[in-house]
Amino acid sequence: MSVEPGFDREFVLGELITPRDADEICTQLAAVLGQPVAVLDAAGTVFAGNAPGAGSVQAPLTLELEPVGFLACACDAVALKGAARVVRWGLLSRARFRMVSDLHLEAVRADYAKLQQQNEALRASEAKYRELAEILDAKVKEQVRIIDERQRQLYQAERLASIGQLAAGVAHEINNPLGFVNSNLSTAERYVAQFAALRDMVPAEKWKAADLDFVLEDFAELLADSQQGVARIARIVKDLKGFSSVDQPDVQLADINGQLESLFAVIAGQKPPGVTLTSELSPLPPLMCLSGHLNQAFLNILQNALQAVGESGTVTLRSLATGSHIVVQIDDTGPGIPDEVLPYIFDPFYTTRGVGGGTGLGLTVARDIVLTHGGTITAATRPEGGARVTVELPL
Amino acid sequence: MPELDRDAGRLTFKLVYYGPAQGGKTTNLMQLHDLVGAEMKGELMTLETQHDRTLFFDLLPLGFRAPSGLTIRFRLFTVPGQVAHDGTRKAVLSRADGVVFVADSQRTESINNGESFQNLVENLGRVGLDIDRLPLVVQFNKRDLPAILSEDEVRERYAGAPWPLVFATALRGEGVLQTFATLLRGVWQGYAQELELDSTHGLTEETFVAAALGGAA
Ligand SMILES: Nc1nc2c(ncn2[C@@H]2O[C@H](COP(=O)(O)OP(=O)(O)O)[C@@H](O)[C@H]2O)c(=O)[nH]1
Ligand SMILES: [Mg+2]
Repeated sequence: MSVEPGFDREFVLGELITPRDADEICTQLAAVLGQPVAVLDAAGTVFAGNAPGAGSVQAPLTLELEPVGFLACACDAVALKGAARVVRWGLLSRARFRMVSDLHLEAVRADYAKLQQQNEALRASEAKYRELAEILDAKVKEQVRIIDERQRQLYQAERLASIGQLAAGVAHEINNPLGFVNSNLSTAERYVAQFAALRDMVPAEKWKAADLDFVLEDFAELLADSQQGVARIARIVKDLKGFSSVDQPDVQLADINGQLESLFAVIAGQKPPGVTLTSELSPLPPLMCLSGHLNQAFLNILQNALQAVGESGTVTLRSLATGSHIVVQIDDTGPGIPDEVLPYIFDPFYTTRGVGGGTGLGLTVARDIVLTHGGTITAATRPEGGARVTVELPL
Repeated sequence: MPELDRDAGRLTFKLVYYGPAQGGKTTNLMQLHDLVGAEMKGELMTLETQHDRTLFFDLLPLGFRAPSGLTIRFRLFTVPGQVAHDGTRKAVLSRADGVVFVADSQRTESINNGESFQNLVENLGRVGLDIDRLPLVVQFNKRDLPAILSEDEVRERYAGAPWPLVFATALRGEGVLQTFATLLRGVWQGYAQELELDSTHGLTEETFVAAALGGAA
């Protein structure tokens, strides 16, 4: 019934004695009893010795309750019974020995299996703890990274806020004088017209000698130029204000193209004359974002591109919408990004420029801002040369 | 599950006396050997004792023939009680068809009893036996000694347990047959239907117990 025969199974004759040993016993007993002796198994078949002849008697060899075999001999039954007691005693010793050794084996095996189980459990828990340690390690690193990032964002946000306040303050201060300069220029234009009306009242030779025709014409032109200059100053101030977005510090729906345009206007003033700025903006859906922060990110990327092209080259700003994202690409015709730099390009304080060329934070900050918007930022060298930074923002 | 050897016409029950060291397991078998009048009764085999303590096990074979001609055999084993011999204890316990737990009634032995019973429960699990289905009798032995738990105290402690309780003084043979008879009843109830003891072999619970005890009860 059990898979392996246990120590407690009942032994058959063959397990307790070999036919050779049984033969030996038969020979010895035959000498004592004076007749050939046979050992039969439990079923009565000859196991050892000579087959019993006519008139033989049998004596059982019983270890527990029922005989495992018999002695058979044509001799006195009482004498054979005595012989059987001796043989039984021998078989019983063997049986006891077998039982004990089998039990011992079984016990050892059980202990071994238990040890193995414990070992297995130990190994499993060890593996679990190792895994736990690894997870913890990774979590700590991730936390450190997040704290780093938050710190940079905070730093950036503060910087952005102060720049914004400064821009707003400057804009306010400039707008006032700009207002009266503009109004004075309009008045001056009127005055010039009044002077022109006096022409007939001034002697012609005197008028000519003073070259007043030219003066009046040039005066009007100067005033028109000045008005244009004032208008331009007003626009720059407005762009600066829009760029810093100090008026709207919270998440809001923003027109990214509009922002990119005012950004371009700001940056146009910084570029060397040999550099061309082009933009290819496709219609975009409005985006929920921190527009001031995104502006800072795009500005950082644009400044990086400008620095890359140096005195001459082209920086191209592109925008387009896919079903799920807004994509902004900034290409430059600079030297591109060397392969060995590429993996570190967004790392904090990694700069290839000399001291004073940049903080090394520009692209890092840009990446952090894009990541807070759930977006991605990648940098690559274009096949035709020059670098391309691609920002994808989920809608 | 009892071992049914159809060819030899034999049905063998393995019954195990379990319990703390020195509780009286061997004494139970010695007394049974003297008291039981079963048709077939073998010698009590004591396998290797060390300082009067069972090192391996004791074995007492008993048996009778059923009206159907089937030979019913009981092989009563004891386990070594010492804590160190757990592997042996487990091996002896495996394939058991019934268990007597021999507890020592002395107050000082309560903890040993508890630990041994816990060990029995664990080992039953390890050898794949279901304690809820295995016939089990709890014997509180050594009732003759002075500093023992009263019967009420014992009953109170085992109030929630489903197993029959028997009080014994094995040294004087008291309660030994009753313990064995109680286990036999559990065994009959547990296996009679499956083995067709009543229907095929003509053994009711009463005749089964009576034949095993040989009229000694
Ligand atoms: N006073 C008393 N002693 C007992 C009783 N039963 C067993 N003993 C003694 O307790 C000791 C251990 O008994 P034994 O049967 O060898 O315990 P085992 O280790 O469980 O096999 C022996 O000295 C026994 O004589 C009993 O009912 N009363
Ligand atoms: Mg013992």
